[in-house]
Amino acid sequence: MAVAQAVEPKEVTNTQGAKSGSQGSKGEVERARLRMMMLIRRFEERTYQEYTKPGQKIGGFCHLYSGQEAIAVAIAAHFRKGVDALINGYRCHGHSLALGMDPKPAMAELFGKATGCSKGKGGSMHFFDAEAGNHGGHGIVGGQLPLGLGFAFSQWYKKNSGVTFCLFGDGAINQGTHNEALNMASLLKVPCIFMVENNLMAMGTQVERHSAVTDLSQRAAGYNMPARNVDAMDLDIAIAEIGKAVERGRNNEGPSYLVMNTYRYRGHSMSDPLKYRPKEEADKWKARDPITLYEARLREQKLVDDPWLETAAEEIAATVNEAIAKADSDPHPELDDRFDDILAETYPYGS
Amino acid sequence: MTEEMERDENVFLMGEEVAQYNGAYKVSEGMLAKFGPRRVFDTPISEAAFSGLGVGAATMGLRPIIEFMSWSFTLVCLDQIVNNAANVRYMSGGQYKVPIVFRGGNGIAHQLGATHSHRVETIYARIPGLIVVSPSTAYDAKGLLKSSIRCNDPVIFLESEKMLNETSEVPDDPEFLLPLGVANVEREGSEVTVVSYGRTMQRVTRAAVKSLVDEGVDVELIDLRTLRPLDTATLVQSIQKTGRCVIVDEDYGYCGMGQAIMASVYKRVFDYLDAPIAHVHSDEIPVPFNHYLEEAMMPSEERVIAAVKDVCYR
Repeated sequence: MAVAQAVEPKEVTNTQGAKSGSQGSKGEVERARLRMMMLIRRFEERTYQEYTKPGQKIGGFCHLYSGQEAIAVAIAAHFRKGVDALINGYRCHGHSLALGMDPKPAMAELFGKATGCSKGKGGSMHFFDAEAGNHGGHGIVGGQLPLGLGFAFSQWYKKNSGVTFCLFGDGAINQGTHNEALNMASLLKVPCIFMVENNLMAMGTQVERHSAVTDLSQRAAGYNMPARNVDAMDLDIAIAEIGKAVERGRNNEGPSYLVMNTYRYRGHSMSDPLKYRPKEEADKWKARDPITLYEARLREQKLVDDPWLETAAEEIAATVNEAIAKADSDPHPELDDRFDDILAETYPYGS
Repeated sequence: MTEEMERDENVFLMGEEVAQYNGAYKVSEGMLAKFGPRRVFDTPISEAAFSGLGVGAATMGLRPIIEFMSWSFTLVCLDQIVNNAANVRYMSGGQYKVPIVFRGGNGIAHQLGATHSHRVETIYARIPGLIVVSPSTAYDAKGLLKSSIRCNDPVIFLESEKMLNETSEVPDDPEFLLPLGVANVEREGSEVTVVSYGRTMQRVTRAAVKSLVDEGVDVELIDLRTLRPLDTATLVQSIQKTGRCVIVDEDYGYCGMGQAIMASVYKRVFDYLDAPIAHVHSDEIPVPFNHYLEEAMMPSEERVIAAVKDVCYR
C-alpha cells in the first residue's frame, strides 16, 4: 500500500514544481495528487466518525480540513524537502499528510499514543514532522507567523534557496503578529510565503463581520509585497499561483502574500454544528469541490477512469482503517515519559 | 557576545537599536562594524515578530541573541516565549532544540514608571522548558552569558540597566564559562544564610551583608545566578548548616520569586531552622515615578539588616 509515498513523485519536487512529471507513466503525478486529496478527505471524515463515536477515543480540540485539500497538495507540488519549511495553525492534518506523513503516526497522535507524530504530547493541533520540514501545528491563532518569519530568516541566512510556507486562517489576519511578521519579512526581504487559508469564517464569525475589507489581499497592501487572490478550489490554479511566489522566494526577491480562497465543510472544530451557515452557501461551494473538480479534469484527459478511482478509493479506505486500528491498539506513552522532551541539556550545564 | 559570534557563525544579534545606534544602552557598541549587517540587525518595534523570529531561527539550527530594551516590553510577546520557545520541543515530542538567548534589562531601573519597571522573573521561572539566569557582577555576566549562548535550551537572561556601568575583573579567556543551574556561595558563614540575585544583590544585599559582618554576624551569602533550574542543593546545604535564612529580592512578595524559593527548600530545612525563613521584597504597589517613593518601595540595606537581625534574634 503506497499511500504514504503518494506525496509528489520526485520529478515534480524541483523548481519547476508545477510541471508534470516527464518520467514514469503518463499522468502519474496527476493521479498522485488526486489520490492525496482523496486520502486527506478520507482521513478527516473517518476522524470525524471516530471522534463522535460513543466511547470517544480522540480527545481535545480537533479541526478538520475537508474542503480545503487542494491547498496542501498544491504546496507539496513545490515543496523541496531539506530546505523548505511549512508552518501552520491548528488545522494541520492535511498538510502533514501531503508532506509525506504516514497516516499511522498521524492517527496515533489523534489518539494520544506514544507512536504519534508528536509522541502523544501534541495532539490534533500540534502535528510535527521536523525531518520533512513540517514545523507544526500551532494552537494559538496567529502565534505561528513570527516563527514562519524565523524559518524564512534562517533560509536567507544560510542562503540555501529554501522558502517557507507560512499558513494561517482568515481569523489570524486580525492578530497583531500578522502586522508585525509581514512588515519584518518585507524589510528583511526573506523568502516567506504568507498564505491565508480563507475559508470565510473565523471560528463562527463570517469574514464580513471580522475584517474591515473582505478582499483579503488588500490586507497586505501596506507591506510592499505582491498579494494575490487564488481560487484554491482548483488544484491546478493553486499550483500555478503558489509557483510564482515560490520562484520569487527562491530568487531572493522577498515575501509574497497569497489569499487562498476556499471553504471548510465541517464546523470550526468538532463542537461546532455549523448552524450559522446557510445551506445554499455550502452547496454553492461544494459544487466546486476540489476533489470532484480535479477528478473530472483527469477523467477528461483520460488519466483516470472508473476502475482506477474505485481501486484508489478502496485502497485509501483500507489505509485509513489500518491507521485507526493501529492507533487504537498502540500503547499510550509510559507515565514517566511525561518528564521527557522538555530541555535539551542536563543541568548543571557547562560545569 | 562578540567572542561567541567570532567562535560560531550561527550566532547573530537582533533587537531594537542594536545595530546602527550601537545599542540603546551601548551594549552592542561596535558590533555592526565588526560583523556587518548580515549578523547584527535593527528591528522595528515589533517584539512579537522578532522574538518569534528568533525562536523559528533557533529551531532551524541558528543561535539567536534577541535583545529586549526592557523585559517589561515582553508582556506584548509572552506568547512567543511561553508558548513557542518553551513548548515547541515538548509538543513535538523532542524533535527540536531551541538554542536562543533573550536578554535585556529587568526590574526597577530608575524613575521609569510602572510600565517599564516590571520584574519578570516569576513570569518566566515558572515555565518548564525555560532557563532563567540573573547575573550580579560583570564577571558573572560574561561567564553566564557565554554559557547561555552555547546552551541548547532557551535562556531568559535578566540584566539591569543600572548595572551596565558596573566593573569587575573579567577573564579574557574566550573559554571562560560559568555553569548554568549552579549558585555561587559568595561568602561562607555559620550563623545565617542570605540569598539574593541580580540587581538586588548589587544594589543592597552585598552592602547590608558587609555591615552585618562588620557587626560580627557571620553571614553566608549566596548569589543564585540561575533562577531556573534552581540550585536547591546548595541552598539546602547552607540553610541546614546555619539554621536561619533571609531571601532578598526586588520582586513582589505575594507569588514572588522569594516565596517560590522558600517553598522549594522549606520541607528539607524545616527541622534545622531556628527561625522562620524571612523574605525582604518590594512593596505590593505599582512602581511609582517619584524617586523617593520608588526608593521606598524596594528592599533597602536597613530592611535587610533588620530582617537578618530578626531571624538571628539579635
